[in-house]
Amino acid sequence: MPRSFDTASPPFDRLSEAEAAELVAALDIGYWPAGQTILMRGAASDHYHVVLKGAVEERDEDENVVAILGPKETFGARAVVHGGAGARYVACEETLTYLMPRDTLLSLIHRNPGFAAFFYSDISRKLAEVAKHDRGQGLEGVLRARISEARLRPPVFIDASTTIEETEQRMSDTDTNSLLVRDGARVGIVTRTNLSKAAILAKLPLTTPIGECTSWNLITVEDDEFVFDALITMTRNNKRRLVVKRGGEKVGILEDIDILGMFAGNSQLIPGRIDRAKTVDDLAGAAADIQSQVVRLNHQGVKVRDIAAITSDLNRHLFRKLFALIAPESIQEAGCLIVMGSEGRGEQTVRTDQDNGLLLADAVPEADLSRFRVEFQGALATFGFPPCPGNVMVSNPLWSQTIDDFVMQLKRWVHSPDADSPMHLGIFFDAVCVAGNADLLTRAKREFIAMMSGETAAIAHFAKAIDQFPGPGGVINSILATVGREEPIDIKKSGTFPIVHGVRSLAIEKGISATSTVERILAIAETRFFDETFARELSDALGYFMELRLKSQLRAHLAGTTEGESLLRPSDLTTLDRDLLRDALRVVKRFREIVRNHFKLGMF
Amino acid sequence: MFRWLRHRYDRMRLKDPRWLPLFREDPSGEVVSVDCETTGFDTRTDDIISISAIRIAGNRILTSQAFNAYVRPDAEMRADAIRVHQLRAVDVAGARPMREVLPDFLDFLGGRPLVGYWIDYDAAMLDRYVSAYYGFHLPNRRIEVSGLYYERKYGDAPQGTQIDLSFAAITRDLGLRTLALHDAFNDALSAGEMYVQLTDMKARNVRIAREHGHDASAAITVG
Repeated sequence: MPRSFDTASPPFDRLSEAEAAELVAALDIGYWPAGQTILMRGAASDHYHVVLKGAVEERDEDENVVAILGPKETFGARAVVHGGAGARYVACEETLTYLMPRDTLLSLIHRNPGFAAFFYSDISRKLAEVAKHDRGQGLEGVLRARISEARLRPPVFIDASTTIEETEQRMSDTDTNSLLVRDGARVGIVTRTNLSKAAILAKLPLTTPIGECTSWNLITVEDDEFVFDALITMTRNNKRRLVVKRGGEKVGILEDIDILGMFAGNSQLIPGRIDRAKTVDDLAGAAADIQSQVVRLNHQGVKVRDIAAITSDLNRHLFRKLFALIAPESIQEAGCLIVMGSEGRGEQTVRTDQDNGLLLADAVPEADLSRFRVEFQGALATFGFPPCPGNVMVSNPLWSQTIDDFVMQLKRWVHSPDADSPMHLGIFFDAVCVAGNADLLTRAKREFIAMMSGETAAIAHFAKAIDQFPGPGGVINSILATVGREEPIDIKKSGTFPIVHGVRSLAIEKGISATSTVERILAIAETRFFDETFARELSDALGYFMELRLKSQLRAHLAGTTEGESLLRPSDLTTLDRDLLRDALRVVKRFREIVRNHFKLGMF
Repeated sequence: MFRWLRHRYDRMRLKDPRWLPLFREDPSGEVVSVDCETTGFDTRTDDIISISAIRIAGNRILTSQAFNAYVRPDAEMRADAIRVHQLRAVDVAGARPMREVLPDFLDFLGGRPLVGYWIDYDAAMLDRYVSAYYGFHLPNRRIEVSGLYYERKYGDAPQGTQIDLSFAAITRDLGLRTLALHDAFNDALSAGEMYVQLTDMKARNVRIAREHGHDASAAITVG
């Protein structure tokens, strides 16, 4: 019963006091000389180990050192729970480990689901458990609540022939600010604001049928969606009220104030600010709001993927408005403004760069185009978007040309690639249209997929960039091995990029039109290329890397530098985080191998 | 030599067969790490107030089956000792008297050798009760961890080498953690950890480096 055993560190922090005492009472201590194998790969074990002192190497089937475990880190769970160790564990110096007997561990696992989750082998369940554990500590709990859990206003229906006066009376009677209006088969919504405008501003007689001032464009959400989804819908449509449906039935009205009542955030107010902007200077304020709310949302504990979704929506709103404000008429008519790269995938939170372009249906006057290039870029610079290091920007004529010329350009990149071609094609493939004629982008992408279809060598050349940062044989392993040692890990190079690019390559091959990596992963899983479990692990690993990256970006942001923003020091992580990071890096390794084998990258 | 003679003599005169196992060294190779907290530091007049003992089987320290007991003392506790072990008179007032604790301890110990830091002191404390109650001297072999440490570090040292056998020095050289509280259990555990590591070093013929002996990893490279 070593009293010095720390029951406050994960996963033991999920045990009740009595359970922790029971566990501590059952502990023995094992001593392992340097070089001794503590656990053979595939062997069963009577003990789960927690390092007390010293260091233990985890070696995979090829005897690569996958990790070095230090004090408080654990191993042998698989050997105890599943009857076979996943790796060989070797003491790399004189080591003492706490020995947790199998029976005690299994009995605790059966009794305590939160504790048990830690021992399930796949990362998703671990992450979900962590999320559950953190619930209620921030905004996450609210955003992750279902809309049905919110206090909805009951729907009150009136007929379209009801007069304005009667409607006002009905609102007072039912103590509500909005009523649903029925006109035959169609249903609309009328609010107190609509009434005031009709009666006071438009001076309509109070006997006017309410159908005349009803908004028939109902925005609805399903009641089993997350509150977060409702917030996105409001933001996207610039509406403050949503009609909530269950099945086909309208069951209530959700107002932004209802959500605001649950927490303090203001992303739904930003689109209004963008819409009201009359000059580029007005927009700059909104742009600053977008950025500052990233910090706030993160502070409130919102998941990074949700922050990225909100931020992308707002950024696109901003781009659209900027386009409307400054694009000359010729470009408004012929143009299609696109955002690409992480902005196109909807995965950017803190602005690290910008990737944007302009496709034109026909040539426009050269003076218009050059003025637009300069003004657009100038505006983004004042909004705080750093310039793109690869010069993928509207200001670069390569990225603002007619659709015909651009398709020719794509052909050159595909058929006679140079060093930068895979990067250009990859960034382009992530493009979404934010303003203007979306058909142009659809056409360019369709042509691109047609060019790549069947061109095994071209796709392989493209996919090969997955090894741009050193491959799975050596460096990934040593990165994994640095977990527990003091070597920073580049989250972007080791985690995010291989997943994003591998998925992108597969999406091109399979002609998948979705742009977000998570949607692409789902679409790939639908083709049965890999199973749903792996799809989930892959998206979760990506989400985890994005989260780590955002944390270190915000830290760098606070320090006022972008230097080393994607670097992470393992010693800054908790044991649980390190464990998750190891799992996530392992998923990347597996995925890289899948991609390499699929495109036969070994041959290049 | 003297102890061996006394051992033979005690065994011959032993009346109660219950204590016979103590006189036969346990063939399993197990040892018991022991630490006692006392009212003071005089083995003739001070009393034991707590005993902790931990069995060690091979490379395993069996903390889950440790023996822990508080003892109600006869002598008054002295302030300087209280500062060390942090057990006050009120803490041991409800404990069992030594007459009840000692038989349980001896059963736990059996014929296993005693291990400890400054083990002669603990053994002498225990011995006083054993001889008073049962008329023999604690026959178990004693293994002194500071002796094992001396052998690993200073065994081949030239004359005049400055020798430091303090608990802190051993802890430091072996890279062991310093347990916050000096109670009987933690001290027995530390001695146990020292024992497994030092006996392993001896088996592999690894020595502790003297010149840069502040780091356990320096010791590993020698072997």
